[in-house]
Amino acid sequence: MKRFIITNLLAVITLPMLACAGGWTTNHYLFSVYESEDFSNRMDEITRNNWKTYLGLADDQYYWFRAEDIIKVAQSKNDALMISYVQNLEKYLDCARQVSYERWEYPTKEELAKRKQALQSVQTYAQSKLKTRLRSQHALLYMRCNMLLGQHQQNITFWEQTASQYIETVYKDMMKNIYAGALYKSGQTDKAGELFAEMGDYTSLMTIYYKKRSFAAIRQEYQKNPNAKVLPFLLQDFVNNAQEADDVTNPNAEGFGGKLFIRDLSKAEVLQMRDFCEQVLSEGKTETPILWKSAKAWLEYMFGSKQQAYADISEAITMAGTNRMKDDARVLYLYIKSALVPQSDDFDSWLAGELDWLDQKKNDDYFFQNAQNRIVQQTLKDRYANDPVKELALLNATGSYLYRNYIDTMKVENLERFYFFTLKTPKTEFERSMKSRLTKEDYVLEDLIGTKYMRLCQWDKAIQWLENIPTSFYESRGYAVYAANRRYNLGPWIKRQWLNSNQMYGDQEIKFSQSPKLQFTREVQKMEGELSVLSGEEQKKQYYELAVRYAQASFTGDCWWLMRDGKSVMDTVRVNEVDLAAKAASYLQKAGDPKDFLLKEKVLFARAYVYMNPTPWYDQVWNNETYEYDMKPNPESAQYKAFITFATFAKQHASELSGYVTRCDEYSEFMKDFAKRQ
Amino acid sequence: MPEGNAVYYWRTDLRLDSTERAFLKQYYINKVYCRYFDVVMDTVESQGPKPNATITFSDTLPDGIEIIPTVYITEDCMHQPHQGLAEKLVKRIRQMNETNDIKAVREIQIDCDYTSKSLKTYYQFLKEVKEAWGQHLSTTIRLHQLSMPAPPVDDGVLMLYNTGDPRKWTERNPILDIRDVSPFLKRLDDYPLPLAAAYPVFSWLRIINGIHVEHTVEADEILKVKEAVEQKRKGLKRSIITYHLDKENIDRYKPETYEEIYHH
Repeated sequence: MKRFIITNLLAVITLPMLACAGGWTTNHYLFSVYESEDFSNRMDEITRNNWKTYLGLADDQYYWFRAEDIIKVAQSKNDALMISYVQNLEKYLDCARQVSYERWEYPTKEELAKRKQALQSVQTYAQSKLKTRLRSQHALLYMRCNMLLGQHQQNITFWEQTASQYIETVYKDMMKNIYAGALYKSGQTDKAGELFAEMGDYTSLMTIYYKKRSFAAIRQEYQKNPNAKVLPFLLQDFVNNAQEADDVTNPNAEGFGGKLFIRDLSKAEVLQMRDFCEQVLSEGKTETPILWKSAKAWLEYMFGSKQQAYADISEAITMAGTNRMKDDARVLYLYIKSALVPQSDDFDSWLAGELDWLDQKKNDDYFFQNAQNRIVQQTLKDRYANDPVKELALLNATGSYLYRNYIDTMKVENLERFYFFTLKTPKTEFERSMKSRLTKEDYVLEDLIGTKYMRLCQWDKAIQWLENIPTSFYESRGYAVYAANRRYNLGPWIKRQWLNSNQMYGDQEIKFSQSPKLQFTREVQKMEGELSVLSGEEQKKQYYELAVRYAQASFTGDCWWLMRDGKSVMDTVRVNEVDLAAKAASYLQKAGDPKDFLLKEKVLFARAYVYMNPTPWYDQVWNNETYEYDMKPNPESAQYKAFITFATFAKQHASELSGYVTRCDEYSEFMKDFAKRQ
Repeated sequence: MPEGNAVYYWRTDLRLDSTERAFLKQYYINKVYCRYFDVVMDTVESQGPKPNATITFSDTLPDGIEIIPTVYITEDCMHQPHQGLAEKLVKRIRQMNETNDIKAVREIQIDCDYTSKSLKTYYQFLKEVKEAWGQHLSTTIRLHQLSMPAPPVDDGVLMLYNTGDPRKWTERNPILDIRDVSPFLKRLDDYPLPLAAAYPVFSWLRIINGIHVEHTVEADEILKVKEAVEQKRKGLKRSIITYHLDKENIDRYKPETYEEIYHH
């Protein structure tokens, strides 16, 4: 069957939709004890296998349910009953598709009446075949028709009096699911919930319990039946909502996006739940004490005593429960222990074993990957904060998103130590575990170490790391198009180097004859080395040219790609790097007062460039009357003063000014305001 | 643009509770812009635009309230023309009215966040919708769309919400902030289309960096924007809409606020 179409009418569409559901987060739920086998997929898989067997096809020969294929085979087997069953099933599925799938053709009243008639005829047919060898299939068909016709009471009666006595088959499971839906539609929520929980139908459970999730509801369910199947689902939902509440104040809980079905919990309700878990354990009626002890431990950790939480989870992992509950307790133990116990070699060895276990588990279930992400983010990264090599190894080996950020911002010496760690033979269990999972991209570390030395203006060391990197490495970088089309020897105050759409999106094949970073580094190194042997006008020109290069390499310049892999409007000078724009400004000062008119014009104009000054020449002030920003000149600002100096020079040389000056909007704006003030 | 008070109805089931019914009565709501369905690109079977999230009519509107079928079309549907789309859309609206006994429908509205990339296709599509429908056609106008030529419709609804950048939520309320509205005020006066104004009364719950962030707009901000836009374009007082009808949104503001929003 292509899809198991509408088992019951508790479709997920009744749940609210969050506009920003999904997205990236490390803030994953750690309490995962309810084993949801995804009822719909499970049913699909079994019915698919049944059809494959009937058709005598191998797995790669059968794609999805096609009535005509089955009828053809049934004809060859003289299987008249199967033929009529499939024909009627197809009629039913056609009606179900009309209900589920949205089409441009909205049904008319007549079509709705016709659909009802078709369902009634299939219903009558199916009912007449309940004593045949395909009685389970026909019974399911009968219940499906009742469901689409809204005859829920008939389904309840039929299941209770007839279908529940049938032998165990996938059809019976589906009937039971429809029966649970009918109970719900008839107001028998508790009974329906228990059945959905037993079947692993998470979607239906969430639909019926969406507005009833609370400590009070859990206590009520427990009091009715201490081993109710719905309890793991409800407890899991409660604890995860408590985690949401805790994450609000947890500085390590990061995420953007949002999770579905959030319910806000108060601390008081969480503590009531924690105490109730202890009560359940002391009553001794539960068959799965690990469930309640783990829940208690995690609530205790988030909202009570962390040491008590450690004691609780240490006890929980020895208790009885399902395999899933045991796995989850082990995950919680890993989290809590990693957060609380002192650092030691023994801990490192134990951790290596637990990460190996998580690695195996995460192949089957993404929960374990998510759990690992949260544990790394919230406990392990802080634990190894004073040991950068171990920390980087861990972040790399666990695929943490933090790895890239860390290697980019950390001190170059630490990155060098990590680089050498990646080359050596492991000596401890921890090193073995990490090294077996390290992912290393060719030349990335070498380039980054070289770039970090560039950021520190330590050109000699930068060259040592960069000189063996092939140009092909740079041709494949995201910034290659900028590197190929922008010049670092052109002052940003003279011309901004915007790329046109052909350059950005065209088919230009980017090839470098030499490494662009190495070329820049060698050039600046050489120019700075020459400063001591130059003097007078030549030295001033050299200072200006160096200022151009520093300004371009700054994050505010067009050649930001020399120092970074990407650019954002939120960029600032980062830790462990020199403020290159400030360095450019200092070189402009050293360029002094050249005699050459064109050089002097450039130096003075560059000094007035916005990024060469700590404060702009005006402030933006919100105007409540016009609802717009007003520009308020600030004569005390560095840029204002630099513009005044340039304006004085320009006034003396009005007829000689270069085009880049007369075309500059910013300068014209300043002059307009300046003229008003004279 | 006829004078009156209106609301948007944006849920997938038309079913009103007593608070919502009382609201319609208390504020003399005479029109409900009711989302009938969305049109989205079929990404699974690549069949072009297709209807999605069609409304179910479990209830009817109180007598005397005009329903305006509204269809939200995602912008990517307008990246290229789709032959027959306008006719299919109008036919579906008519059929939904007929099947569900919705009578006396005079106007329909199309909502699309069109950009300069999709403008040409969208305007041609609107012409075709107008031709197929044959009666009154309106469309939503977002602030950034004020700088483009006016669409070929009878009138527009100026959407005074979702004005900010959701990523910069710490600086500005992404639902509405007068500072995001103000750069567009100068375009209001001579915008060549009759306009109604739609104000936000909804909340938007997001989780950002693990923090629950619920965006709502302060009553004062809505009223400040109302004053500013009405100052620039007097006609905006005549026809006022809130987005959207829901008990929670009704309870969010004091009755005095709604009275001021709907003040002509």
